Amino acid sequence: MSGGVDSSVAAARLVEQGYEVVGATMKLFCYGDDVPDRPCCSLDSINDARDVAHALGIAHYVLNLEDRFDLHVIQNFVSEYSRGRTPIPCVRCNSFTKFRDLLAHADALDCRYIATGHYAVARDGALFRGDDPLKDQSYFLWGIDPAVVERMLTPVGLITKAETRAIARRLGLVTADKPESVEICFVPDDDYVGVLERHLPADAPALSPGPLVTTAGELIGEHRGYARYTIGQRKGLPGGAAEARYVIAIRPERREVVVGGVEDLAGHRVRLDEVNWLADPLEPGGECEVQIRHRSRAVPATVVSAGGGSLDLALAVPVRAITPGQSGVMYGDGGRVLGGGVIDVPGDGGA
Amino acid sequence: MTRPPVYLDHAATTPVRPAVLEAMLPYLTAQAFGNPSSAHRFGRAARAGLEQARREVAQALGAEPNQVVFTSGGTEADNLGIVGAALAARERGATMCAVVSAIEHKAILSAAHAVCHLGGREVVLPVDQHGRLELDALDQALAGRPAVVSVMWVNNEVGVVQPIGEIAGRCEQAGVAFHTDAVQAFGKLPVDLATLACTLATISGHKIGAPKGIGALVVRDRKAIEAIIHGGGQQYGLRPGTENVAGAVALGRAAALAAAEQGTEAERLRALTDELAARLRAGVPDLVINGEGAERAPHVLSISVPGADSEALLMHLDLAGVAVSSGSACSTGAVEPSHVLVAMGVPRDLALGAIRLSLGRDSTADDVARAAEVMPSVVAKVRKLAGVLGRA
Repeated sequence: MSGGVDSSVAAARLVEQGYEVVGATMKLFCYGDDVPDRPCCSLDSINDARDVAHALGIAHYVLNLEDRFDLHVIQNFVSEYSRGRTPIPCVRCNSFTKFRDLLAHADALDCRYIATGHYAVARDGALFRGDDPLKDQSYFLWGIDPAVVERMLTPVGLITKAETRAIARRLGLVTADKPESVEICFVPDDDYVGVLERHLPADAPALSPGPLVTTAGELIGEHRGYARYTIGQRKGLPGGAAEARYVIAIRPERREVVVGGVEDLAGHRVRLDEVNWLADPLEPGGECEVQIRHRSRAVPATVVSAGGGSLDLALAVPVRAITPGQSGVMYGDGGRVLGGGVIDVPGDGGA
Repeated sequence: MTRPPVYLDHAATTPVRPAVLEAMLPYLTAQAFGNPSSAHRFGRAARAGLEQARREVAQALGAEPNQVVFTSGGTEADNLGIVGAALAARERGATMCAVVSAIEHKAILSAAHAVCHLGGREVVLPVDQHGRLELDALDQALAGRPAVVSVMWVNNEVGVVQPIGEIAGRCEQAGVAFHTDAVQAFGKLPVDLATLACTLATISGHKIGAPKGIGALVVRDRKAIEAIIHGGGQQYGLRPGTENVAGAVALGRAAALAAAEQGTEAERLRALTDELAARLRAGVPDLVINGEGAERAPHVLSISVPGADSEALLMHLDLAGVAVSSGSACSTGAVEPSHVLVAMGVPRDLALGAIRLSLGRDSTADDVARAAEVMPSVVAKVRKLAGVLGRA
């Protein structure tokens, strides 16, 4: 229970359905006095979760997973940016912290299930997209252990966000009208570079100036550290060119940020690493739909090769800004999550 | 839960005693709700209750009624003692320095820190492995002529009793004001300020069966402190603001009862706590009793379970119907090793596996048996969990 409306209503619905529910709030990081109030994991949010648990008549505990979160999520976040990639810490948190370390606590409490306020649907050991297309969060859940899916309860997966808020209001939960948290929880004010600066030495390559080059290899300027860039980004690039310029690739070994035109952003292939399957693994020739960003549309794809935890997919239509570090999530019929992986080299573009 | 839960967290707070509730109720309602500063009959009725409460508190502590300053609780009393003494020192051109022990309650440690922010200094005195103050360090600090020395009588986390007479004597000899936080001592040990050379002493209501929101600072030398809040001159100007009459009345009643019952109650609690320690140790042979080598108050038992996490212990005990505390209750849910155990040199692993069981008036042999009964299985579960998650 993050102290947000989704997990509040998830808990409420389970209580209504007669489950014996134990509320848990993961304490994942602490900025002490530096950042007085964060949208989640702050004292206010913990108190909101406590209030809701009390209103529902369930026990509530704060579980300190700071060390584990730091190890598996924050350190990965920093090392991925150091490698010129754009990580999704929420995916790591789900895979390592929430649905593994938190589950260890649930096991110790003899809990049969682990419930979440994610907009996704766990059914008969399979995971599907949430019914609300605007809120679907299945993209962030591809990395969990398939055995955990069988124990997952997703009480808000079949309703819309609006319905969730309506339920919270009906029950008088303090979190009913809480604004959506859209930031990464441990990144204050959306300043991810600030987080990197706290964790990396001042002369770290990722934060040091380097060459801005075109796809043709022409030097056009200097950038202020490649970690400040992500594939497809327009902001922060020198103007003056006839056409709009975008970041096409990041080459950390040379500290280069490569820019090009919009046509250079299109990719036809995706390579996934750290592949995890929530269904029978696809063999070469197997078909699925793959989604390469949280808010992008999934496109038809065919497995070209597979093995060693990696997977190459050929896309039926080109996709814009395939970004190393983001997730590629494979979907099957009915929006079933087949599996996913971390995007490695950006298909057939750039590098 | 089939059986009612067992409350073993009396050092955190206690239920209001029926006799105390009965005594305070008239001061909340039509009978005597008045403002004690008012000259009319309503004011007089409230004033009578307030002054009666002052006498009761004074008598219970071996102090004079005009030495009792009611506060909103232990934290405020501690702040008035420390910050007030620093301000008084500044007023008379003396060193604005607060000397405190490393195992004080956060109220004292934070107040001493506040003295630094006011331009003064703080000195934190070490304790030995049993939690007893290092007296040599005290002597050294006294040589610097600080504004105040504060050492708690009984530590709230481990129950260790300080050689308070010795400490007070050394401060008196050095001509330095001495404050003691007697919140956990009062009602559990014989507390007689008439025989103790202390300048200032803190007590709290809700640890002895009065409600939360009332406490007192005994001020035996008004020149020793300055007010830290400012208002209409009530309570000798040391703690202005319309008095919490009902709270004061409750504290008076609870203090009188606590003092009267101290001897028999301490004996009863000592036997229960000893029984609890023995039973817990029988079920969890490798548990460590913190502060075991020192004299300890009869109602507090701090144990460390090797390879277990205190927050997880607390949670599983709660679900098993036994309420305890992980060191000192922290509102943030933050999990840091207790500063008390760290100061005592307890290894990090043991400090992170510490819980406090504390008994009170309504504790019974049954409660002790229940806690001891559930502990081994709780410990087994929590250790298994620690095995999965690893430890910091």
